[in-house]
Formats: sequence, structure tokens, C-alpha cells
Amino acid sequence: MTELLIRGARKAYGATLALRRGDFDLKGGEVHVLIGSNGSGKSTLCKIVAGSVKPDAGEVILNGQPVTIAGPQASRALGIGIFYQELSLSARRTVAENILLPDLPMKGGLFVDRVALASRAARYIAEFDGVSGEGFAADTPVFKLRADQRQLVEIMKTLATEAPILIFDEPTSALDRAQVERFFEILKRLKGEGRAIVFISHRMDEIFAIGDRVTVIRDGETVATSNIAETDVPSVIRQMVGDHDEVVAAPPAAPAVSGDTGTALGVEGLGGSGFSNVSFSVARGEILGFGGLHGQGQSAVLRAIFGAAPRASGAIAVRGEPFAAANPRQAIARGVAYVSGDRGRDGIVQGRPILENVTPVHFLRNRLRIVRPGELQKKAAGPLDALKTKFQTIDHPINSLSGGNQQKVVIARWLIDRPDVLLLDDPTKGIDLQAKSDLFALIRQLAGEGLGIVLYSSEDAELLANADRILVFNSGSVTRELSGEDRTRYNLYHAAYEAA
Amino acid sequence: MSAPVSTQKTAPGGNVMLDLVKQPIVVALILIAVLLALGEALSPGFASLQQILRLAIVAALLGIVAAGQNLVILGGREGIDLSVGGVVSLSAILAGNIMSGQDGGILPAVLACVAVGALFGLFNGLGVTLLRIPPLVMTLGMLGVLQGLLVVIRQGIPSGRAAPALSQFVSQPFLFGLPGIIWLWIAIGLFMAFLLKRTVFGHRIYAVGSNEQAAFMAGVPVRTIRVALFMLSGMFAAVAGICLLGYSGSSFANVGETYMLPSIIAVVLGGTPLAGGRGGYTGTMAGAMLLVVLQSILTTINIDESGRQMIFGATLLVLMLFYGRGKAMRG
Repeated sequence: MTELLIRGARKAYGATLALRRGDFDLKGGEVHVLIGSNGSGKSTLCKIVAGSVKPDAGEVILNGQPVTIAGPQASRALGIGIFYQELSLSARRTVAENILLPDLPMKGGLFVDRVALASRAARYIAEFDGVSGEGFAADTPVFKLRADQRQLVEIMKTLATEAPILIFDEPTSALDRAQVERFFEILKRLKGEGRAIVFISHRMDEIFAIGDRVTVIRDGETVATSNIAETDVPSVIRQMVGDHDEVVAAPPAAPAVSGDTGTALGVEGLGGSGFSNVSFSVARGEILGFGGLHGQGQSAVLRAIFGAAPRASGAIAVRGEPFAAANPRQAIARGVAYVSGDRGRDGIVQGRPILENVTPVHFLRNRLRIVRPGELQKKAAGPLDALKTKFQTIDHPINSLSGGNQQKVVIARWLIDRPDVLLLDDPTKGIDLQAKSDLFALIRQLAGEGLGIVLYSSEDAELLANADRILVFNSGSVTRELSGEDRTRYNLYHAAYEAA
Repeated sequence: MSAPVSTQKTAPGGNVMLDLVKQPIVVALILIAVLLALGEALSPGFASLQQILRLAIVAALLGIVAAGQNLVILGGREGIDLSVGGVVSLSAILAGNIMSGQDGGILPAVLACVAVGALFGLFNGLGVTLLRIPPLVMTLGMLGVLQGLLVVIRQGIPSGRAAPALSQFVSQPFLFGLPGIIWLWIAIGLFMAFLLKRTVFGHRIYAVGSNEQAAFMAGVPVRTIRVALFMLSGMFAAVAGICLLGYSGSSFANVGETYMLPSIIAVVLGGTPLAGGRGGYTGTMAGAMLLVVLQSILTTINIDESGRQMIFGATLLVLMLFYGRGKAMRG
């Protein structure tokens, strides 16, 4: 009988410990659920099994033998088949070709054996007969398929490995109910054949429908493994939350704004790609948190407000005045600021001096044409100091700074001229602790000056500690609002993990 | 995911010389000196003041075209303008026909040519931004259009002559013994330095060139900037065409064609990588001078036009090997 054991796996990325002590045991004939909150180390553990990440310590024991998984090929050779969350299909190739891509049947060592390809692929396609939807056929190129159909191809591709160990990382995110039910029937059959299956999902209903055992990971450590039959949703969530529970977030600085209070940002029925019917309002002086699992529409909403992503419906108002930004420039002109967590892509201008990284927004809001470096340096110095940014001189290239300081420079660009609304899209991703605390101190201060702030953070602790109110996102909609005493980790997880 | 941070450490004190030598502009200046010395050895009189001045005039023509090329390349996203040669030719012919040997025709000719250059630049810019055609394809296509246009225009119409004042401006001493075109080039150099360092537009060019997405998110009007760069390139090429007419007296078929490749090489030689976002025009000026000196040496040792073209092409490829490829800036 197949058996995979992971003992004390540990992995650090630089100073960040992604996995402290990962333990996991998998037996043939079971569906084993792996669950953990954002950044708990669950995907790192998966990557270790997949061979794409090499652990710093710990051992992997397969059928009693310690093994080193050198890479994806090695993991395949050991009999491990993996479903990748980020789809790994070739868009221009057909369904059949994609299913058998890892092991295309060959003729004469050079040509694809079309006949064998068709007959082998047909087996896996037949598994989803009746639920695969219109236009799904062996010879359809993948780019013509819908998202759910592509996910089916990815599942078929994983099944086609015929590996004794199958790992499914969120395989059902795009599937409809009938497809999920069919998939679960297949999993039950494979389980009956003695295969070992790892199932990762954030949907509690699915987990309890298909799982035999569940392992919870928290803060990089395996917390517990229990039989599904002997546990329930609240217990699993409590294991994910740990001792942090019932520690109510720091009391919010009651929106104490000097001068006029009122709504900084109002959003009504906002819909677009990846979110629908999102409504909320942020008072001046308030920090509104966006929570929930990754990619439930939080970033998409912020980008849509800022004019960086298209909007399909809804109304937005800044300080009571309706506005609709077609691009970031228009949003900035109306006093909306946006800080992306992906500073390499959206934030810094690589290779250019720090000063030039602070000034672009100022140019826009003041309609300047000529640059006066001396004057600009004085204007930039204030915000940079307020964030305790460390740099040699303001003419040094931004690349010479650490990640945290780079992000401070990006944030400083919004502070020369104060905006009315500050949208923070996971702003502390990959920056050091000191920079984080500097940043949040400043954010609270800005709120005190009357800004309305929206903070999306993928770190729940950060959210609980800094947001006055938290909207929990699930599948593109706000499913729960937590305020006051309700802002506990337990409530946050419960809302994030319940079926949408 | 964190951005790959390229550590640009400032070297400790002792390596100032080494750092200096790594600057493309310093390399170009050294090479110019070496080539001049070599030329002098091969054929005495090569490095005479008179001869250097003559080379500088030719370099100015190339340098003016390269100014526009420089801007387009700085703007990044594979920015390149292959149509400059066509615009130079068209402008030379247009200017010759408008002024037909009369000084009074200079002003209308200049206005018309610059407007035409801007128009073709506008087409290039709109094709690249709105239709999302890669600059290489867009400007190559535009070059084809221009070449066809030149054939049509030249049927039955005399090619025109330069106004005497224009010829004088280009080749005769104008101020302090230097011809007007040298002064024009210096003025363009100062203009470019001011544009790139001291205007918001200049800062935005660098921002767009090194991280278009970040520039967009900071409210920079990315498309407008890119269109403006192509228009400026067309205008600089048009100015070069007029000067070229003054230099040769009359315009002849496809005079501008030889400018396409050298204008790109001059930019890269001067330290602006093809990836954009870094560099400036001062280096390009040195690059233009270096290329002209090299061309002159090749002529001195009797290498014909086809041989020179091959050597230029090879030079560009070798340059790519050293600094053209540029490190991947985006993660």
C-alpha cells in the first residue's frame, strides 16, 4: 500500500520562514484534505512534494524509503501526479494533446501517434461525459474552452498520469455543482483502487463531502490531523485560528477627525471581472479592511475604483461627488491614491533615482511642466521622513534600497499632495517587520488627518490589528462585515471559508 | 513576489577610474581619439582640424536623426523608428522643391518639412499605441510607404535645389569659425539635455521606458508620451533632411536611406540600451561622432559602401553583446 510521510519539513525564503515544521502522512485509499489560512505554509508543503521546492530540513519518506525529490520530473517518476492551481495548459493544442502532454504516445520516436493519442485520451474525456459542457471534444483547441472546461482538462491531465499519489490543489474553483459531483465520484473510485489523494480546497462543504482525514497547518506548522467523521467545521476553524482566538483587535481609534466628517468613499453595486454587486462606504478617518482568502475580488475591486481595471456596473463617489475613472490619471486627479503590493510591476520605476520615483503624482496634481530638483527634493523629504525611509541620497537609484524602503518610496509619492482616499492593495507583501510597523503607524496618522483608507491585506493578523471594520470577500462578493467586538480571527476565518 | 533587485553598488574609492571607463560615453570618446590617431597614421592629414570639422558636419547630420531615434528608444517597449531614413529623404526632396534655390523659400520649406515629419511620426505613434502594432513592424511598414511615395513624387518633378543660404549655413563658418549646423547640433544637445533632465515630459519618458505599468499606475499618460516621441523622431529626421539638402546642394534618390542603421548604432554606442529607460543624448552625440570617424577610416582604407554597411551591421551586433541586451528589468 502506498504511503507518503513528510517529517519536520522546513523551508525559509530569505528571512521569512514559510514552513517551520511540516508533518504530513498520506495513505493509499484515502482522500486527505490539507487546509490552512493565507500564508500558513500549505502551498510550500505541496511544492516540496511536487519537487519544485527543496526543503531546508526534514525528510520525505515514500513507501518506507527516504527520497529526495529533485524536481517535477523526479516527482512524476516516483509516482506523484499533481494538479496545478495555476493552469498549465497549452492554449493552441487540443484537449487530447493536453491531457497526454506529459507522455505523448510516439511513433518511430519522432511522430505523435494520433490513433493511440485519441484512444487513450478518450478514456479520460469519457469520465466527464454529460457534464463537460457544450463544445468540449477531444480535438477542440484549449483556447476555445471556458474556464470550467479548462479546469476539467487539467483534472483529466492529472488523472492521465495514473500515478498512485494524486495531489489536487484547488481543483474545483471554476467547476459547477454537477462537475464537482462527477469529480467526487471519480475520486471515490480511485480511492477504492487504493490510490492516495491529497485534496486542497477552501470550501468547507466540499472538504466534508469528500475527505477522509484533514490536516490543518497554521503559521508554518502542522497543527493536527483528524478523521473527518470525528470533527466538524467549527473545530477545524478553531484549529486554524489557534490561540489567537478571541483576542479582539486593537481598539480602533474612534474616527476622530478634526473638522468635517463624512463619507470619503462610497461604492454602490460595483461589478466587474471577478466581483459583483460590491457596496460599501468608508468614512473620513476610518480604515476599512478587506479580508478573506486570496483572490476573492479584493484587489480587483480596488483596481476598478482606481480606474486600472474595467468596471461593468455600479457607482462610485468620492466625498459625496460621483466619479468614474477611466484610467488611474483621472482617479488621481479626484484625490484617489492606490498602492499595489506588487511594487516591481505596479510601483517602482526601476533604475531611476529615488526622487523620480516620488514625484510623478505630484507632477500630475500640480500640472507642472518644468522640474526644479531643489524644490522637489524639499517636497519629497517630508513624506520620506514621515515613513522613516532609509536611503543614502535621493539621487541614488531606487534599486539600491531594500524592499521595504522601496515600498516606502512608492507610498511617499502619494503624500506630497494629500489624497482624499487611499487604497492599499496588500501593501506589505514581502517587506520587513520594521517597515510594516512604520507603515501602519503612518496609515493611522493619515486616517486621523481625515483620509478614508481601504486596506486589503493577505495577512489576517495585520488586518485585525489595523482595520476599524472588516469586509470579508468570498467569490467576488462581500459575505460578511465584522466590526467592533466581532473582529476576531475565528469570525474572519469562518466567513472566509464558508461556502459562497 | 518580490522584485529582483539589481544591486548597483557604488564602487569603493579606488575604482573611480574603472567606473569611468565603464561609461559608454567615455568609451566612445576614447575610441574616437584612437581612431583619429589611427587615421592620422594611415593617411597624414586625417586628424587635421579642417578634416575633423568636416567629419563633425557629417556627424551632426547623423546626430540630429539619432536625437529622435534616441527618444523613441528611451521610451521602451521595443521602441525603435526604422522610418527615419524615409523621412530624411522625403524632407530633403520636399525642401529642395519648395525652396528651389531661393533663400526666401527656406522658412516655408522648414515649416512644411517639419510638419510632414511630425505627421508621419503621428502615424507611427498611433499605429504603435492604438493599433498595438510592434514599433519594428509599424515603422518598417511606414518606411515602405515612404519609399513608394518618393518614387511617385520624383516622377516628372525636378528634385529641386538648396537655397544658397542653407548651403552656407551647413558648410561655411557661421560663428567662431564653426558652421551653423554645428551650432544647431549643440543647440539640439542642450535642448535634449534640458528636455530629459528638467522637464516633466523628460522624467515621464524614463518612467514609461523603464516600467510602463508603474508609470500608468502613477497617472503618467503613457500613450500620449509614446505618440509624442514618434512625432519628435519624425521632426528631427525632417530637420536632418533639410540640412542634408544644404550639405549636398541638391537632393537625389533615397539620400536618407543610409541613416537608419547608423542612427540606431549611435544611440546604443552612446549608452542607451535598446530596452530603453536608461541613457541620454550626450552619449549619442559621441556615438554619432565615433561612427562618422569609423566610416571615414573605412573610406580611407578603400572599403566600399557595401563593406561599410556590413561592418556597421556587425558593430551593432557586437554592441548588443556588450550592453544592448540589458538586464531583464521586470520580474
